[in-house]
Amino acid sequence: MMALDESGRTAANHADPADPSRRRLLVGLLTAYTASLIPWALAQEVPDEQRGAFMALSAILVGRPSLDATQATRTYDALVANDARFPADAQALLALINERHIDPLQLQATLDNEHSPLAPLPRQIMRAWVLGVVGSGDSARCIAYESALNAVMVADVLKPPTYAYGSYGSWSGKPV
Amino acid sequence: MNAPIRCLALLAALVAARAAAADNPDAALLQRGQYLATAGDCVACHTAPGGKPYVGGLIVPTPIGNIISTNITPSASAGIGRYTEAQFRDALRKGIRADGKHLYPAMPYTAYAQITDDDVHALYAYFMHDVAPVDSKPAPTRLPFPFNVRASMAAWNLLFLDGKPFTPDPGKSAAWNRGAYLVRGLAHCGTCHTPRNLLMAEQSSRELAGGAVGTWFAPNITADANSGIGGWSEQDLVDYLKFGHARGKAQAAGPMAEAVDHSLQYLEPADLQAIAAYLRTVPAQHDPADTQAVDRWGAAFDGIAAQRGTAFPDDAEQWNGAQLYDAYCASCHQASGEGSFDGDLPPLFHNTATGRRNTDNLVMVILDGIRWTDATGVRMPAFANELGDRQIAVLANYLTQHYGNPSAQVTAGQVMALRAGGAPSHLVALARWAMVAAVVLILAIFLLWRRRRRRREASVGRA
Amino acid sequence: MAAPASADIVVIGAGIVGALAARRLAQQGASVLILEAGPRLERARIVAAFRNSPLKGNWMAPYPPSPWAPHPIYVPKDNGYLVQAGPYPYPAEYIRAVGGTTWHWAAQAWRLVPNDVRIRSLYGVGVDWPLSYEELDPWYQEAEEILGVAGADNTGSPRQHPFPMAPVAEPWSMRRVRERLAPTYAVVANTVARNSRGYDGRPACVGNNSCQPICPVNAQYLGINAVESAEAAGAKVVPNAVVYRIEHDAKGRIAAVHYYAPDKSEHRVTGKTFILAANGIESPKLLLLSASSTYPNGLANRSGMVGRHLMDHPSTSLTFYADEELWLGRGPQSPSSINTLRDGAFRSRHAPYRLDFTNISQVLNVTNDLIREGVYGAEFEKQLRWRAARQINVKNVLEVLPNPDNRIALSSEKDAMGIPKPEAHYAIDDYTRRGAEVSKADFAKIAELMGGTGLRYSAEGHFANNQHITGTLSMGNDPASSVVDGFGRTHDHENLFVCGTGVMPTAATMNSTLTAVALALRTAEHILPAKQAHAATTHAGHEADRA
Repeated sequence: MMALDESGRTAANHADPADPSRRRLLVGLLTAYTASLIPWALAQEVPDEQRGAFMALSAILVGRPSLDATQATRTYDALVANDARFPADAQALLALINERHIDPLQLQATLDNEHSPLAPLPRQIMRAWVLGVVGSGDSARCIAYESALNAVMVADVLKPPTYAYGSYGSWSGKPV
Repeated sequence: MNAPIRCLALLAALVAARAAAADNPDAALLQRGQYLATAGDCVACHTAPGGKPYVGGLIVPTPIGNIISTNITPSASAGIGRYTEAQFRDALRKGIRADGKHLYPAMPYTAYAQITDDDVHALYAYFMHDVAPVDSKPAPTRLPFPFNVRASMAAWNLLFLDGKPFTPDPGKSAAWNRGAYLVRGLAHCGTCHTPRNLLMAEQSSRELAGGAVGTWFAPNITADANSGIGGWSEQDLVDYLKFGHARGKAQAAGPMAEAVDHSLQYLEPADLQAIAAYLRTVPAQHDPADTQAVDRWGAAFDGIAAQRGTAFPDDAEQWNGAQLYDAYCASCHQASGEGSFDGDLPPLFHNTATGRRNTDNLVMVILDGIRWTDATGVRMPAFANELGDRQIAVLANYLTQHYGNPSAQVTAGQVMALRAGGAPSHLVALARWAMVAAVVLILAIFLLWRRRRRRREASVGRA
Repeated sequence: MAAPASADIVVIGAGIVGALAARRLAQQGASVLILEAGPRLERARIVAAFRNSPLKGNWMAPYPPSPWAPHPIYVPKDNGYLVQAGPYPYPAEYIRAVGGTTWHWAAQAWRLVPNDVRIRSLYGVGVDWPLSYEELDPWYQEAEEILGVAGADNTGSPRQHPFPMAPVAEPWSMRRVRERLAPTYAVVANTVARNSRGYDGRPACVGNNSCQPICPVNAQYLGINAVESAEAAGAKVVPNAVVYRIEHDAKGRIAAVHYYAPDKSEHRVTGKTFILAANGIESPKLLLLSASSTYPNGLANRSGMVGRHLMDHPSTSLTFYADEELWLGRGPQSPSSINTLRDGAFRSRHAPYRLDFTNISQVLNVTNDLIREGVYGAEFEKQLRWRAARQINVKNVLEVLPNPDNRIALSSEKDAMGIPKPEAHYAIDDYTRRGAEVSKADFAKIAELMGGTGLRYSAEGHFANNQHITGTLSMGNDPASSVVDGFGRTHDHENLFVCGTGVMPTAATMNSTLTAVALALRTAEHILPAKQAHAATTHAGHEADRA
């Protein structure tokens, strides 16, 4: 008999992230090539394939050796809210990179040259993590600022604008 | 003090007919007197805001009414110009004015009683010759009955004044003795930091265990590791006294910021080290409710990240703690409360401001900010005009919850009372009712006695 | 409580200029009413709004326009409030709110150089001002002491008394620029209304690097400080009061102004003297709107010059990577510039300019570049750090000559209150373009001295707008060719004065705010002379403030 969760949906429903039977390790979604790009992330538990694809893509694109889980959830939710196709697109893009072993630095050019419908996706994911912005034009939303990765990546030298650098004159010294 | 005024003061001293000790005291004596006056921080009380130094007029609010500081410039008409050195000494050490009247212990003569004769001599020389005389008399102190009866201070002194000057302890180091002399005497730390009994005298058995200073709280600075400064190094203490800031521990605010600003930052390094050495030996007063050192609480925490991009409610009264923090505090204290790179804009965790269970100082520093009289000026802005009572309570609870001691609570009522100058004291009413009660009691006893006498006389008469 | 309906002095516009004129008059005992089209703002809200904005590079994002008092917005979409008639766009940004546009400025508070007011006599271009630098000097001093200006002596504008404060501490990045460009170029500390120590009860700068769009800590003087000090002096401010008509009497004296509240109810305010200080676009717009049968071309416009001679300081720029780590973003945004190219015989041939270095953090720009270039993976962080550490930008600040065809007029389009929108007619002429061309050699030289690579010049023929809205209500001695006299009094209406950058008849190369404030203080003195020597008042006032 199929296990049922509290809302009565079967385990076969891919859209239920809380269903423990869907949880898996990230490595299960990757080929040897993509696994080699993000070795730190292989043992991460992911609730389902869509979020897993997002985590894998994020790890590959952002290139950092860790990603905050809470921030990942917020970012994913914002991307999905912005575009309902995002989860499917993310899976498709990961599959593409898995199969064709696309180098992250070649990825955008490859997608652009092939006029791939997935071409906007890497930028969306990057903007969400690195800039803390999801969506564009009038529907653009800020989801992170101080914890946006571009701030984190320079946090040893700079505070994000509006945050004080230090007492008066502290900016005269050489940056360490 | 610039040269022309110094010359004028000397000239005035020569012209005035006074039985002063020396008509032309040497520069070294005057310099020592000035240093001691700085250590004693006479200027803090004896100068009105924006007024000339030592002319008095500062209103010191006490539970028994406002006490107004006097003019201690060498003005003959308005100040202490006619004081002999003996009279000066008696005022300092015994709280007795030249006209024989008693001073209220808002003048910390119980501490200044420790000052040695030599130091009194130097102070006297400084005040007589190096301070500009100003002939303006501030308003006299008028306390409500019965506290306007100064003679009662004689009884109070009998109970609580130890009139002996400081004698060094031969079993302790020179630095310790110097520190003890300064702390107990000129720097009069106990005046704020030692708790007082019902008759408002310092409780000598609980030296430096903490006391109230108007709306501020002068904390426990005994050697207790949790409740006091037991975990502080000597350098921490020296830094705090010199800069008003011990990194990763505490910042001086309110009256303590004034003390550092006007007095302590000018003390010689050896004196600061001596004070620190002494403080670390003051018997530990431990409050069992302090389960860890008050400067060890909390950790970095970003409460804003989860709300980034969420529009703030139009009604600022609806802003939650993270939103208030974002809008008013984070610009300096940073998104995770970690402070600036150089630590000068301090972190909010590992900070006594958020670690103490008594949250009055936290509220006060948010209301008043921190402002020095030197070039730095405003070190922390005042938020009294920007934030309401409830907002400050929400914000302060956010701070103690995430960066400090979570059991330290702030209420809107507390903020309102502190903003208004503190909970009103009932001492005057109590004293008056006590007197009325005493009179009623005496009358009752007298009437009873008279009735008994009449009855006896009546019964005798009938026999 | 109902808003006041009358005052001795009615000021239209609660920006830095209107507020400081109001303050001075209130200090002299006049009753002063300031009508402001927009709402009151709060610094804390602006800080939070910026941090929550998805467009961090858009400094107008924390200042959304009010429906009843719109101001121009260009990003992400042009809201069409400032109609662009061309041929060249004039996309000025300004804020209609209590405190005005200096909520977000870099606080550059320069004086003119003496020759700036005589370029017609000296160089045969532009016009001469109806006053000399010497006459302006004491007013500059008063303005600097009110604002709290920190400056260095080596910046070419003569002065009688020292600056209120020493220059702001130099960021490392600017120090390296200064050291490496010497002796070819003298890089100097900018003269700024930014505290280099505690001043006037406000703290010293702590390097938030967000002067634009907002100083979170009140270390930079903003129009809101001016408004608060005006209110402390007794002036009353009525926000959300959109003045739409200035009413005159049969003798041509101004009798009243009419304003809408947001609900479109009409209100009338009378006064004895009126000061129009609504910025260089809104002020001429209001004069044109107030046309009557007696004045069919608008008020104060018998010369036909209202709205004409629109000027700005256009900029072109160069961005490049220096060959050492500078890390822009530590300290204030506009610390240093080169000021030796502002004046000289060449001004008869081409525009003079300043060269401004920015210290704005490059992290956002670099991030956008990298994402656009498709740099992903571990390389992203490497490139971000490398570029953000080295990227530097220098821009020119060019003079534009007064040209009557460049003007603000009334559009046929109307805003939400039914008021005609302002319309900008503008072009960049050859005088300015030649200046830009000459400056390219300086850009190249600067890049060379900094070991620059990756040179990116701003697009050819493209000039950025610097929101220094000047010229539209030019002062002059001849009523036929100017709108106001040397004291800001309109030639046509005895009790109507104009204050603001709009009265400047030439733009020079210096950011215009301090000049506008100095002129406004002089206007206020002219309306109601001070009872005491103004120097004593200023100094005494500041001692008390600093206590």
